[in-house]
Amino acid sequence: MTTASQSPDSINKFAVTPHVKSSKASYWLIAPGVIWMTLFLIVPLGMMVYVSFWTQTTFKIEPVLTTKSWEAFFSSDTYLSALWTTIRIWLLVLLSTFVVGYPTALFVGLFIKNKTLSTALLVLCVIPFWTSFLIRVLAWRPMLGKEGAINIILQAFHITREPIEALLFTELSVIIGMTQIYCVFMVGPIAFMLGRIDPNVIEAARDLGASFSRIFRTIILPLSMPGVVVGAIFVSVMVLGEFATAAALSGRKVNMLGNIIVTQVGSLKWAFAAVVGVILTILMGLVVAGFLRIVDLKREL
Amino acid sequence: MTDVLRIEGLSKSYSAKPALFDVSLSVADNEYVSLLGPSGSGKTVLLRLIAGFEQPDAGRILFDGNDIASVPAHERGIGFVFQNFALFPHLSVYDNIAFGLVNRERDPLTDENVLRSKIMTMVDLVGLKGLEDRGVHQISGGQRQRVALARTLVSQPRIVLLDEPLGALDANLRTRMRGELRRIRSQLGVTFLHVTGSETEALAMGDRIVVLDNGSVGQIDTPDAVYNRPISPNVARYLNCYNLFEGAIDGNAFSNGVHRFPLKGALWPNSVPAYAIRQDLITVRQSGVSLADGEAGLTATYLASEYTGAAFMYFFKAADGHIVEVEGHLSHRAPQNLDANSTYQLVWKADEALVYG
Repeated sequence: MTTASQSPDSINKFAVTPHVKSSKASYWLIAPGVIWMTLFLIVPLGMMVYVSFWTQTTFKIEPVLTTKSWEAFFSSDTYLSALWTTIRIWLLVLLSTFVVGYPTALFVGLFIKNKTLSTALLVLCVIPFWTSFLIRVLAWRPMLGKEGAINIILQAFHITREPIEALLFTELSVIIGMTQIYCVFMVGPIAFMLGRIDPNVIEAARDLGASFSRIFRTIILPLSMPGVVVGAIFVSVMVLGEFATAAALSGRKVNMLGNIIVTQVGSLKWAFAAVVGVILTILMGLVVAGFLRIVDLKREL
Repeated sequence: MTDVLRIEGLSKSYSAKPALFDVSLSVADNEYVSLLGPSGSGKTVLLRLIAGFEQPDAGRILFDGNDIASVPAHERGIGFVFQNFALFPHLSVYDNIAFGLVNRERDPLTDENVLRSKIMTMVDLVGLKGLEDRGVHQISGGQRQRVALARTLVSQPRIVLLDEPLGALDANLRTRMRGELRRIRSQLGVTFLHVTGSETEALAMGDRIVVLDNGSVGQIDTPDAVYNRPISPNVARYLNCYNLFEGAIDGNAFSNGVHRFPLKGALWPNSVPAYAIRQDLITVRQSGVSLADGEAGLTATYLASEYTGAAFMYFFKAADGHIVEVEGHLSHRAPQNLDANSTYQLVWKADEALVYG
């Protein structure tokens, strides 16, 4: 009897003690992260907003508050069109990564029953990352150029007579390049969500008489939505901040907000670069918030 | 009663390893058949073949007298309830049950009112009233089981195949759902084929029991017949309530070299001779007392006991190293105080033993 009456107490003691200790210790665990984020994210973000209101003259910048840089941005066609270009390219790349990525993820995550093989295929998707980002971007030039691989092949098979010049140094080439680079960020999360679908659920739907297209629409697509949203957030954040692909594959003809920042920083126009930076940050914030409204990730993951 | 399902000589192998071999059985209309087998006996394979999720290597499956080999799973009119329920996790209870009616390829139900009344009738029948708008993660395991059942039953299949339907539930819920399953089945008059690895479940549920033994049918009979007269030593083993000895018939006794049991009553034909005595038919006596006429017995060392509520399980080690289990029901036997490592006499009536040979 004595052992029986003691045991609940001792269980409680064990349950409570580590809990108290761990809650104190857990603050120390997040300290490095908090310090890092404060120093290198929160403070710079604050600075960026602050600097965007400084007074910029040709040769120097002074901490005298003014809205001149903001007025300059919103009254210039060049900058507003860069904003529009950014949004347009973002939407097109988002669409193309989804169109290319979803079927790939469907194949890897759902149709490959062997877990080892599907992991191996996902790793295969990441292999391009073994090469540096810039090389992958620049590699598109010999592919898409007037004398490039694609034009040579098209002409060799007599599909086209003349080389297609629109392939390189256009918005199209920027979108092709970005789709290739960012597609894997769409495939990964979707394949992960699809891989978690219980095969019995699909079999049950089939047994209840639904066709594959019905099952896709009513079961598979809704269950993979969290993956689509996570993938879309990855792609969006990266594409919105892009400048290198746009510069390298458009011959500097396509200017995104990122390219404007690079140019302005290069000519020491810090206040103006800060304005564009703030606008870009707000845009990303809105996009991410919008995606998170579609799916309740906390509930789904 | 007419046979709604007939299976003839069904065989299926996976990479040259036979999972089912020459299985034949028939299931009558409005019958509850439980399919008992240990894991690896091929019971799930058999169910998946009947459902049409997989194709047999040989044999025929006749549904209402028609071979359904070429009929795809969803057109067979056979419902399937999965072991883990396989509910649609993003849909409500109502939408889960409605899924088949709304989404089936063949003549989907579009009239919202007809749909609603059908589903609400089913919701009432399985006892889910008031829960139809909940998500399937917001209800308990037993309720999820009911949703899985309702989802299948609402399409009015002739047969419902249940793959270990109570396996995912905890013990007391399992007992309650047994009764519920029987009630729902008899109310609808639909045939249930219920696969289980639990002998108590099989005995409690089925009008008839099919015992699967290494991919073949071991025995098909009523629960009472299977329990009291298992047709082979393997069937006796799966029932989990027999002590089994292997050995040989030696004159008018069964011998395994160490123990000799006198033979009374008929021999059951079997390729391997074996002797089976049910655990609750054995009495424990002090050693040294000689056996009366018509009794069989052995001396064994007492090891331990286990209290199971209504009964005690006593574990003994026989001279040949065999562990012998004795079940003592407390309703007609007082618990015995036995000394560990002492020798006792285990006695039973010779004609109550089953002898195979």
